[in-house]
Amino acid sequence: MIEIKNVYKYFNTLKVLKGVSTEIKEGEKVVIIGPSGSGKSTLLRCMNLLEEPTYGEVWLDGKLITPPDPYLHREVIEASKTFVKLFGEALEQNPDANEEELRESVYLSIRQNDLLKRHEGRAYRKALKAIAEENYVDINLARRQMGMVFQNVNLFNNMNVLNNLIAAPVGLKLKTKEEATELAMKLLTRIGLADKVEEYPQKLSGGQRQRIAIIRSLCMEPRYMLFDEPTSALDPEMVGEVLALMKELADDGMTMVIVTHEMGFAREVATRVMFMDEGVIAEEGTPDEIFRHPKHERLKDFLSKVL
Amino acid sequence: MAAWDSFYRQLVTLEGYKNVLKGLLNTAYIAVFGLLIGMIIGCLLATTKILPQKKWYVKALSRFTDCYVALFRGTPMVVQLLIIHFVLFPALGIQISSVIEAIIAFGLNSGAYVSEIMRGGILSVDKGQTEAGRALGFGYGKTMLKIVLPQAIKNVIPTLGNEFITLLKETSVVSFIAVVDITKAFQNIANSTYEYIIPYIVLALCYLVVVLIVTGLIKLVERRLRAGDRN
Repeated sequence: MIEIKNVYKYFNTLKVLKGVSTEIKEGEKVVIIGPSGSGKSTLLRCMNLLEEPTYGEVWLDGKLITPPDPYLHREVIEASKTFVKLFGEALEQNPDANEEELRESVYLSIRQNDLLKRHEGRAYRKALKAIAEENYVDINLARRQMGMVFQNVNLFNNMNVLNNLIAAPVGLKLKTKEEATELAMKLLTRIGLADKVEEYPQKLSGGQRQRIAIIRSLCMEPRYMLFDEPTSALDPEMVGEVLALMKELADDGMTMVIVTHEMGFAREVATRVMFMDEGVIAEEGTPDEIFRHPKHERLKDFLSKVL
Repeated sequence: MAAWDSFYRQLVTLEGYKNVLKGLLNTAYIAVFGLLIGMIIGCLLATTKILPQKKWYVKALSRFTDCYVALFRGTPMVVQLLIIHFVLFPALGIQISSVIEAIIAFGLNSGAYVSEIMRGGILSVDKGQTEAGRALGFGYGKTMLKIVLPQAIKNVIPTLGNEFITLLKETSVVSFIAVVDITKAFQNIANSTYEYIIPYIVLALCYLVVVLIVTGLIKLVERRLRAGDRN
């Protein structure tokens, strides 16, 4: 399961994500749609930390892959100097108040008003470190679980097709060269490109390249696949073959998160559609709910333009 | 023909060619080892600029690189050579042959240029290549080594060859610190015969031939590396 907790992403002053929380459960096929600049690609890239969220956390299978966010952990906030100070003041002002309620209200006000400072004392640092250590996972190990397919393909230009496919499993010592080659050939045969095994990426068509990029991720035997507008840079006649492969993957039960503008594909494959607008998830639901019965004004407007 | 006769006498009968060959060898030594040192320094300097600028010591090293490049690009090669020969090494009490001094001076100087070339080469590789590597689970170092650098080096070969040719020709200033290179050897012949035309034209032809040979070698290497693309 990929859990996204209250993720914000700022590029300098540009606020791209403004508090996104969601979960991607095993077996789900989540399609993210939305106007350009709404933060869908950024959200996807936060999932495998190609972008580091400014605030918030991303969890993969119960392990924390971002640094812990103090605002998401009550025990961390309560260990901070600010909390101790504010709680002391509050207690002085209403000595008769229920202590538990007072703690709660101070905690909430720190959370809501962003009151933590850069330095909050040793207890705070220790609490934060404890969370980081308890849930630590090496990001490079985490990324092996998540295949990623890019809009502009990004096959390795200095390697032929076979080496593109086996580079990661062999280079990371997960498989021997023979095992990796066997799997690569099996997948290449499946997509009908076994005869291209010696070719360099520059020699292939856009659709062939993208399909090979997809199976390059599959060669790592990931549990999740992230697709970042995989068909947006392709010639129209190539789109079908790539979508067909993705459909096959979905039917095989792969957990997928897909950012796309292909509404037909979204309707057919998605178990859940997420509509993003101005850095938040404006609406989500089954394809039927989103496409047939949109509630949000912005979604209705968006659908009228793309459908 | 008198001019040709006196040149021939100096070069062959009085065994001036021995000096010329020695000079040619010195020129080659300085250019080749200068570039080698330059490449080592250049790669190290470029690394400091390419690493993610997060840790304080990376930032400090990157500042150092800026200063280094500014210093060696901002002053003439001859001046650097003179300072190393007459100021720096005497002050440090180091006594080594002038040829090695020249190699060090040219190495330091070309390090500045090579670092910029390398940096440019690495930056010329599409960012998506790094992202794809990282997304597959490669660490930063492995991504660099297996994916980015092989492509960067291919992009950099023509410029690096250019740098070598520039370096080769610039070695003609080493006579300032009394190294006998090929220029100095021909200068000696010219001075002892008072005939300037033939020695200097032959000198120019010598440089031209060497540079043409080097150009051919670079093209060969380039074609070898590009062969992979077309395969």
